[in-house]
Amino acid sequence: MKNNLTRHDGAGRGNLVLGIFALFLLYLLYSSGFFTAAAWQDFNRRFYQNFIKDRRYMMLVDGLKATLFMTSGATLIGLVVGLILSVIRVAYKGGAPIPVLNAMANAYITVLRGTPAMVQLLIWNFTIFASARNLNTQYIAILAFGLNSGAYIAEIFRGGIEAVDPGQMEAARSLGLSYGTSMKLIILPQALRTVIPMLFNEFIALLKETSVAGYIGIDDLTRAGQNIQALTLEHSQPLVMVAIIYLVIVLFLTHVVRKLEEWLSRGRRG
Amino acid sequence: MKKFFIALTVLFLFVFCACAFGAEEAKLKTTDQLKTERLAAQRGTVGQFIAEDLLGDNKSLLLTTYEKYTDAVAALRQGKVRAIVMDEMPARRFLNEVDGLAIMENALSEENYAIGFRKGNKELVEAVNKALAEIKADGTLDKIFEKYYTTFLTGDASSIKPEDIDFNKGAKGGTLVVGTEAGFAPYELKVGTGFIGIDVEMCAAIAKKLDRELVIENMNFDALPMAVSTNKVDMICAGITVTEERKENMDFSENYVVGAKQVALVRADDYEK
Repeated sequence: MKNNLTRHDGAGRGNLVLGIFALFLLYLLYSSGFFTAAAWQDFNRRFYQNFIKDRRYMMLVDGLKATLFMTSGATLIGLVVGLILSVIRVAYKGGAPIPVLNAMANAYITVLRGTPAMVQLLIWNFTIFASARNLNTQYIAILAFGLNSGAYIAEIFRGGIEAVDPGQMEAARSLGLSYGTSMKLIILPQALRTVIPMLFNEFIALLKETSVAGYIGIDDLTRAGQNIQALTLEHSQPLVMVAIIYLVIVLFLTHVVRKLEEWLSRGRRG
Repeated sequence: MKKFFIALTVLFLFVFCACAFGAEEAKLKTTDQLKTERLAAQRGTVGQFIAEDLLGDNKSLLLTTYEKYTDAVAALRQGKVRAIVMDEMPARRFLNEVDGLAIMENALSEENYAIGFRKGNKELVEAVNKALAEIKADGTLDKIFEKYYTTFLTGDASSIKPEDIDFNKGAKGGTLVVGTEAGFAPYELKVGTGFIGIDVEMCAAIAKKLDRELVIENMNFDALPMAVSTNKVDMICAGITVTEERKENMDFSENYVVGAKQVALVRADDYEK
């Protein structure tokens, strides 16, 4: 029994935290008089006002569409940019004579990782694309978030490649494979094991990051909640609903990552 | 198990502390008292400038600016601030739809609203001024005001549907892109996927006169001047007060609202007439 309580595996601690959180929520609800009939009726009335009346839930659905569209688009751009950058950096380390490209890639990663995504978004929309009027603002957001995410993804790729034991490359080269072939056939497939789960995490981070898109006039999920607030003058319910929607998506993605990790590590020794 | 109880105790203590703050304060009576009170305003609005003037050196300590009016109203109801400095009509809409609020009797100032343009965009300013004069003369504008004042300030606003507003779709003269912040009823409000409001209907009427299709861009209020000066939008119309400072950075049309009051929105139980 004692052993069970003191073990420090992820699941046990996770359940403990969840339990505390649930108790805390229940206490908050109880202390705010939530479990009385009148409060329940009031809650239902406000729920109807916020989400059901005039099909207001469609505002959230449209917002969710925008959020997912931006996140997916940005991830695609991020993958391409990240792949190019990491190839440059790894190749330079592997002896390729490309100091200028490497310096540029370094500068890119430093600047885009060193400034907030929201500031970058504002600069893209109001400075760089100042005169682009007929361009859908969502595309500007995709570009801004994608290029930002590219810098992070580049580091994920590089980390994944460098995490592969250097002996693998040495062995492949000593068997007579060229640098490129050994990269393609030996290193990259092994790197993918660590990279793919981290890419999903980046996707999750990006999903939450896009919540600042309202600043350049995109009605994303967060902004949709705010629009409902402005409509019904109710503060808590729309935001909590938005939070729940984000959480459900993130939980789903986390589940996918976990399954993926299991699948990727099948047949791995140890 | 021990850890669990410790964590729980800490949480409960935290909640208790959060609830325990709330000392009794003397009720508000006159607007003079606001000079030393915690105030709120929407970022970038004239309400913010007036609150800054009222508070003087204390503004960094006592003034909170929010991105959205709904946030400011929530802060007011929770007692985080004691008054919101804002335009009278939106304040009266809050009064109509939210319990427990009051507006202080003396207005803080009176302002005029106009449509904002990029500095030097004379052609459009003149065309819009002409259209504005026409809809003022034939009573269209008065009808719009009447419609929104009756629904938003006294009745149920859900009778107004965005589909009923004619955006002049497919007009030959191209688009007229208008930037606004659609959380400022009765002037502008996002409903479903469309927009309603005095400014929206007025811009629709102007677009019709100009034979252009109205396109609404919904942004944050403090991003509007930037959007119009970088040509992202043709004009901005969001209950924007004409001030000397703003005139330096953008051009304005003729006023379409004259003498709009700036008032202090407070909690009813915190206010003694």
